[in-house]
Amino acid sequence: MLGPPIIGVSQNITKAKDIINRIADTGLSILISGESGVGKEVIAQNLFQKSFRNKNSFLKINCAALPEGLLESELFGYEQGAFTGAQRKKKGKFELAHKGVLFLDEIGDMSFNLQAKLLHVLQSGEFAPLGSEKDIKSDVWIIAASNQNLEKNIKKGTFREDLYYRLNTINIHIAPLRERPEDIIPIAEYYIKQYAIQFKSGKIIKPGKKIMEQLAEYNWQGNVRELQNVLKRALVMGDWEDVLKSLGEKPSEPGNSGKGESDKYSLLSELMGFDMNDQVELDAFSLKKIRQTAIDRVEKEVIACILDKTGWNRTKATKILEISYKTLLSKISSLDIEPPPSKKLRSKN
Amino acid sequence: MNKPLNLLIIDDNEEILVALKDFFSMDNFNVYSAIDGLEALKIIESENIAFDLIITDIVMPNISGVGIISIVKQRWPDVPVIAITGWGEHPEALAAEADADLVIEKPFDLAELKKKVNELLLKKT
Repeated sequence: MLGPPIIGVSQNITKAKDIINRIADTGLSILISGESGVGKEVIAQNLFQKSFRNKNSFLKINCAALPEGLLESELFGYEQGAFTGAQRKKKGKFELAHKGVLFLDEIGDMSFNLQAKLLHVLQSGEFAPLGSEKDIKSDVWIIAASNQNLEKNIKKGTFREDLYYRLNTINIHIAPLRERPEDIIPIAEYYIKQYAIQFKSGKIIKPGKKIMEQLAEYNWQGNVRELQNVLKRALVMGDWEDVLKSLGEKPSEPGNSGKGESDKYSLLSELMGFDMNDQVELDAFSLKKIRQTAIDRVEKEVIACILDKTGWNRTKATKILEISYKTLLSKISSLDIEPPPSKKLRSKN
Repeated sequence: MNKPLNLLIIDDNEEILVALKDFFSMDNFNVYSAIDGLEALKIIESENIAFDLIITDIVMPNISGVGIISIVKQRWPDVPVIAITGWGEHPEALAAEADADLVIEKPFDLAELKKKVNELLLKKT
């Protein structure tokens, strides 16, 4: 199996490639982190290809896609009669991936119970299929990936700290595409060539420089996966302009769509503190001026929301917001965040 | 005077890194420093230095202390490694399992660390 190469010239991708080249043969557990669509599986495939295990299996399992029971039987397998319906023995991925790689995608969604079982395999190199009392030895290289912040999950109590440290022996973080715009054109060029071969279409119109520039400027919330979809669409439709126009029409932030024309600029007016239709005031506008107003407004909303959620338990709120108690008190005061009457702060300073 | 010994110190906390570097530089050590396991591995591989001892933090980005200890023990098994950590029992257990020669908890006493370093170096020779 040969996956696509890792494409990119950014510092982030260069570093990822460097780590892969240096550690692919160590067999140490790896955690690949990054948003959905950045290409975590591509990283895992490259690790596998560069390792001495590349003649054996690369198996993947998505921990978010299966309910707990099914994920457990997929991972560990079962004996005949282990549970109702287990009519014959089934080998689990840990057995099937012996001497190869098991890629555990979306590990942040694995249940606490299964995390304990996974930890046991990582510690002992052994596991028991469901319904079996005999442990099976398994030499599997575990590469895990997550789009969640697992350190936050540990704080919330949904991810085991011991498992995290064991998986995170080596961490490869892939930044969102919008944070490494220099990678957009090389990725687009690579996939345009690939799709041209794949679609076997004679009609493929290569994008010009201007189109490429537009692609590089877009913020790609869906990362490489979104870019791939857009390229496919453009190549199939044979028209770049239309596809790019549809990108431009997309709301830049979720929640903006569906608003009437009348309140289209209400947020802006509020942030700027003036009426958008007033030419004199509009002329005096500057981006710098509204920066602090914007930050204050967002901070006020976030802090008020967290305080409401915690029943105005300020200590809890400081933990969630990751700010000091003193900072929280000063924000409550400077941003005029009003507690409900029963939660008024007794003077404490 | 004896030939200076090559010491590699790895910690993503720059203050600790500088303090340890200064402290050991006063003695008969050539001290090299790295901010994480990846940088440490680059130094070990590119400079082609035979390190006499490595001191590493555990929780670090890119290649963690556990990672660098495992790699060092796979490739240069004779190099003693001291793990320093302040993150609860899990990384410590892991460091020991990865074959660190010694695990020291933060905060640690510099004189005590130096004593341990000398003991490990003596054992090595």
